[in-house]
Amino acid sequence: MTLFLTALFAGLAVGSVYGLIALSYTVVFNSTAIFNVAQGDLMMAGVLVAYFCLDRWHLAQILTLLIIIAVVVSLSLVEERVAVRPFVKRPVVGLGWFIATLAFSLVIETVASIIYGQNPVVPIPSALGGGSVHVAGVHVANKFILAFATMIVILVALEVFYKRTWLGTAMRGVAEDREVAALRGIDALRISRLAFIIAGLVTGLAAFVVAPIVSADVTVGLTYGLKGFIALAVGGFGSLRGCVIGGLLLGVAEQMFDLYVSSNYEILAALILVLLVLAVRPSGLFGRTAVREV
Amino acid sequence: MNGSNALNDLTDRLGLDSRAWLRWAVPVVLIVFLYIVPQLGGNGSFRMGEYEEVLSFLVIAVALNIAMGYGGQYILGITAVFAVGAYGAILAAKYHPHGIGLVAMCIIGGAGGAVGGLIIGLPALRVGGFYLALVSLFAALAIPTVAQQWGFVGADTGIPLYAVNGFAPEISGEELYFIVVSLVLLATLFSWALVHSRVGHRFVALHTSQQLATSIGIRSYRTQLSAILISSTMAGLAGGLYVYTQQFFAPGSSSVQFAVLLLAGMTIGGMGTITGPLIGSVIILGINQFFTSFQQYNGIVFGVLLLGFAVFLPDGLMARVTVLSARLGINAPRTRSLTSGPAGAAAGVAAVAAPSVPEPTPATAMTEKPAARLPAWPPILGASDSSPLVVKGAKRTFGGVTAVDDMDLTLTRGQIHGLIGSNGSGKTTLLNLISRFYSLDAGQIRIGSTRLDNQPAHAVARSGIARTFQSPKLMLRETALENVIPAVELRVRCTGAESILRLPRGVRTNRQAHDEALEILEALGLHHVIDQKATALPHGTRRLVEMARAIALRPSFVLLDEPAAGLSPVELEMVAEVCQNLARSGVGVLLIEHNVPMVLSIADTVTCLHQGKRLFQGTPAELRADTNVASVFLGVDEPLEASS
Repeated sequence: MTLFLTALFAGLAVGSVYGLIALSYTVVFNSTAIFNVAQGDLMMAGVLVAYFCLDRWHLAQILTLLIIIAVVVSLSLVEERVAVRPFVKRPVVGLGWFIATLAFSLVIETVASIIYGQNPVVPIPSALGGGSVHVAGVHVANKFILAFATMIVILVALEVFYKRTWLGTAMRGVAEDREVAALRGIDALRISRLAFIIAGLVTGLAAFVVAPIVSADVTVGLTYGLKGFIALAVGGFGSLRGCVIGGLLLGVAEQMFDLYVSSNYEILAALILVLLVLAVRPSGLFGRTAVREV
Repeated sequence: MNGSNALNDLTDRLGLDSRAWLRWAVPVVLIVFLYIVPQLGGNGSFRMGEYEEVLSFLVIAVALNIAMGYGGQYILGITAVFAVGAYGAILAAKYHPHGIGLVAMCIIGGAGGAVGGLIIGLPALRVGGFYLALVSLFAALAIPTVAQQWGFVGADTGIPLYAVNGFAPEISGEELYFIVVSLVLLATLFSWALVHSRVGHRFVALHTSQQLATSIGIRSYRTQLSAILISSTMAGLAGGLYVYTQQFFAPGSSSVQFAVLLLAGMTIGGMGTITGPLIGSVIILGINQFFTSFQQYNGIVFGVLLLGFAVFLPDGLMARVTVLSARLGINAPRTRSLTSGPAGAAAGVAAVAAPSVPEPTPATAMTEKPAARLPAWPPILGASDSSPLVVKGAKRTFGGVTAVDDMDLTLTRGQIHGLIGSNGSGKTTLLNLISRFYSLDAGQIRIGSTRLDNQPAHAVARSGIARTFQSPKLMLRETALENVIPAVELRVRCTGAESILRLPRGVRTNRQAHDEALEILEALGLHHVIDQKATALPHGTRRLVEMARAIALRPSFVLLDEPAAGLSPVELEMVAEVCQNLARSGVGVLLIEHNVPMVLSIADTVTCLHQGKRLFQGTPAELRADTNVASVFLGVDEPLEASS
């Protein structure tokens, strides 16, 4: 039982990482109809910044957070400018934007591996220290609780923003019908930039709380990026709550696979989960309809 | 027998006029170059192994191009499928070292690849779009990760086939190199044959627009799956080829990074061209393979190149070359023309004249109607049931808006039914309901005892209901002729394999589709544009091409959505005549139009919609006399006749 609970809490913590990435995907997609493949590597960049600030330069946690957010938001804006805006301007035909954002992701990853070099994977200290909390008879690390809480706070903030504010409504409207939105005086380019700023904020915050969990490792970008997508596909495309549920489900599924099947083949858990969900319920658990345009 | 005549005939057939020999010269030089690479770059066994490695990758590039460039299916993680094929082949060789040769390894690899492709494709295609790209990329990440831990496949160190006792490759050295080059060329030739077959036509139609494809009866899920299946089989085969030439496979042999390299090569060379992906991959893989000292920075170079091409030159280098060679007159249009009937004769003259003109003259709107009477187009699809198409109590809402409410309508074969009403009155919604692009909220649609409203849209098209779109949907990069051919192919029975491999029935039906499409276009007076890309056609001509495509299905019912909008008077007359001719041939025509005089002059029955409801139904004469319609649309209390 203790093993089970430990695995469950670890799953919820790792699942929060996936959920946070899935939320950033959704913020961008809801306003631009573009799936930003580089989101995982943007988070990885934030994690590396955390490593340099905390492990190398011994800066304060709050300062680190600000630097991470500044770096990730700037990178997002650069990406928006060079890889996304050309496709927001012209009618979306084919998946050119997919290739462009993938290419941007490749550049970030290469630059990061050059800067980070061949350093070994280093653990990064958490803002809440190395302590833990006693829950239901097991110790849950503070960093796990921080990641989970951050995800819930971001989820609530985004839901309020989209439902209650004019800007939030406008941001959803642009993706649904750019022409109609333009007639209402909504500038698709400004909205696209804004979406990347918000997604950058979410990703930056995520990188800060997630860094102690994933450690400094250049390859996490790709892996977590793809798992963030799986969280999204499982939860249902376009749904914020779906992202969170999908992420948690994936995280827990992985830990249970470790515990009861085999920890060597953990990655299969995600693959099997996504193939099963797509086969049984293509629109995901909370998805409205398929993404396909008709 | 006149000798010089025969020679002219031969040069004509080979397309050897003026500069056309360049078309042949470039590939021939490239092929010769491929075969003599070992003479130029060293033929030590290590070097040969490296060449053969790149060549196996080229087969993957060809495979990826079929799925992605032509089929529009982004199976980016094709390296996952490649790895499955390679592991299958190398395991077979490891455990049966005596009985396995190159052919067996390629077959096992291909089978493994097909299975891998199905496991990824079947679920991922249910959503489509970029889902396939990401799911396959994740598989490309997962397979090496799993293999690293799995002792059966050699775990981290992989399987060295050269160390397996008893395995002795029968073919090696230059002989093997020759065979590998030939296989690459064969794969390329296959991709060419596929693209120019009915299967390739379906891929391009679906890639252009799912609605377009559905309207001519193409089953999208099945077509997408076949694109993935063909491509993964070929990638798996490349896996077999790879392990035979390298005698080694390990988790590091396939990776996501490798998948991105392939994508970069394809994008830079030009997706959706036969040679582009090969050239692009040679550039990218060559840099990666032979400039190893620089490898740390390769990701930046490739990333920037990939980004640049995706944004500024999405069609890649080969598309530039094609444009350039068209400008230089190297690619002359070559379309056989029919010489039957007066329209055909006229077209024959036009087609003979065409090749001597280096650049096609820009298409102009039709100024002169063809004099010949239109041929009859009796229904072929769904011809067995001559019952009318009946819509009963049809209802459809969008959110809070009821677009169509309690609608009854009967389309009789051999009659024209006009559907008029102001914008937003529900005309197009009704058309979409009949063709099953939308589903009904209530009511039913049937022909005789056959319900249509519970069938998918492609099945409705296949049962003989053709349609056009309010804004014409054409494959813009294809010629007018190529836009019509897939519609004919739907009803001319032949398997895809026969069509690709040019088996007797395939050759016959390929030609038949070509000829019948040509015949219809010529009948509509479009012989001057058959070889022009749809993107160069003016709006009115596009409408007529779309109409030709609908007719090419030889349907029992045709649903035309504002066919006359934006047409010149001559074209308008043509459309009216086509409608009347279709009706005379026994086709039921539903004509949505804002051009009320035209509708009233040719329709047998007219339905007038107002705010989703039926305001009037009757003959044109009754409509003219109806006071209700006049008061709604003109605000007068007198019938139309009196007020006009």
